[in-house]
Amino acid sequence: MEDKIKIDVLTLDAVQCAACTYMMESIAALPDDVQALIEYQEWSIKSKESLKKFMELKGKVLPTICIENDRVFESIIPQYEELIDALAERAPSEEMRTRLLTLRDGEFDFDKVQENLAKAGVGQKTRAKE
Amino acid sequence: MAKDMLIAATLGKPTPMAPWVPYAGVNCAFLIGEQADRYFKDAGLMAKGVVTAAERYQADGIPLAFDLSIEAESIGCELTYWEDNVPSVASHPCDKQLPDEAGLDLPEKGAGRWPVLFEAARLIKPELDQRDCAMIGLVCGPLTLASHLAGVRIFTALIKKKAFAHPMVAFAGQVAARSARFYAEMGCDIIAIVDPVASQIRPETFREYVTPNCQEAIQVIHDAGIPSSFFICGDCTKVLEEVCQVGTNAFAVDEQLNLNFVRETARQYQKGFGGNLKLTLALSLGMLSPREDALISLAAGGNVGFTLAPGCDLPFDTPEDHLRQVVEAREYYNEYYPKYPENP
Repeated sequence: MEDKIKIDVLTLDAVQCAACTYMMESIAALPDDVQALIEYQEWSIKSKESLKKFMELKGKVLPTICIENDRVFESIIPQYEELIDALAERAPSEEMRTRLLTLRDGEFDFDKVQENLAKAGVGQKTRAKE
Repeated sequence: MAKDMLIAATLGKPTPMAPWVPYAGVNCAFLIGEQADRYFKDAGLMAKGVVTAAERYQADGIPLAFDLSIEAESIGCELTYWEDNVPSVASHPCDKQLPDEAGLDLPEKGAGRWPVLFEAARLIKPELDQRDCAMIGLVCGPLTLASHLAGVRIFTALIKKKAFAHPMVAFAGQVAARSARFYAEMGCDIIAIVDPVASQIRPETFREYVTPNCQEAIQVIHDAGIPSSFFICGDCTKVLEEVCQVGTNAFAVDEQLNLNFVRETARQYQKGFGGNLKLTLALSLGMLSPREDALISLAAGGNVGFTLAPGCDLPFDTPEDHLRQVVEAREYYNEYYPKYPENP
C-alpha cells in the first residue's frame, strides 16, 4: 500500500476552542479523493501525551497543522488550495504529488466530517488526568 | 466595589488592584458534579454552577455562560453535546447557500436555548449582585458564527468568494447584535464579543470582515450603557492592532501572547485588557505553578485597565486547587506589591 501523508494537528481542544475546531475541520472536510492519501490525528494539549507530541514537533502556537513533521499552518486556517499545495509539496512520490495537484480545483466536503473527526480522536482525549 | 473595579478596568481605567475573572463555563458543571450535556440545558444547574464558581473562586466577575454554540443552535445548526465539554457544532446549514436561501432568520427569545439562558440569568443575577460580582454576557462573534454556519469553507470564501463571504459574515454580525440585545436584557454588567477564529486570519481580512460586522453589536451594548470587550484567542499578534481598533472598551487574549506587549498596546489605545493565565500548562495540568503564573501575570498586567483572567474558557476538569492558588497569589500580591514605589 502506498505511503500516506502524515498530518498532526496541535490543538487546545478541537471541541472547546473554535479556532482549533476549524483548523481540524480543514483536514476532516477534505474530499474523499484526498482523504485516501492522508492520515491524521488531533493532539489536544490538555493531555500529557499530546504535550509530548507538541514538544516533539517543536510547536510554538495553537492551533498548528503539521504535515510530515513540518509546522505548516501556525494560527492561520488554510484555504483549500493552500492545503492541497502544502500536501503536494510533501507527498512521498511524484505520482501522489501529481494526483493531489489534479484535486486542487475541488472543495471541502462536509458529508463525512463528523466521522472523520471521530477517527482523528476529536473530543476523546481532553481530560487532564488521561 | 469588586464589580465597580472590574467595570473600571474594562473601561481602561486605574484600579486599586487587578480584578479577577475566572472564565468558568463548562468547569461550573464539574464543580457541582454534573455532566456538561445536562448542565447546558438546565437553568437551575447553570445557576448553581455559576454561583458556586463565583464563590469558590472569589470572582469579581464571571460569565453567565461560556458557550459559543448558543447562537448557532438558535438559528438552525445541529449540536453535539458532550459529557465533559462544551457543545460543538455538528452541521453547517450554510455550507452551500446563504442564510436567506437556507431559510435562516435572526433568533427570537424562544429559540434554541435562549429561554434557558434567560431563566438562568434571572436566577443568577441577584445572587451575583449580593456577592458584588459582575455577570458577563458572551456573544459569539461574527466570524466564529459564520464558521459555524458555513463550515471551514468560509476561510477560503473570505479571500476567493467574497460574494458569498460578505453576506454570510454580515448575517452573523446581525445575529451577534441580537444576542447582545438579549444579554443586555438579562442584566449583564459587561458584554463581550467572543471571536476566537478572528486570530486565524490576516489583518486585512480582519478589517474587511470582522471590524464592520461587530459594529451593530457594539452599538447595542454601548446604547444600553454597558461596557464592552472583545475576546480573541490563539496567537493574535498579527491582528492585535485591529482588535484594539474594533470599537470595544476592552479586549482579552490568551496565553500565547506576551502580556508586557499586550499591556503596552492596550495603553497606546487606552483600552482595558484581560488575560492571560496559562490554561493548560498551569491551570489544567499544573505542570507550571498556577501561583507563580498568576504572580507573573499580575506583575506584567499592572493596575491600569488590567483584568486577571485565564487565557480562555477553563477546561471541564480543571482542578479547583489550581484556581485556589491563583486566588492566594492575588491576595499575596495585593498585600505586598503596593509597598513598591511605582506600579508598571
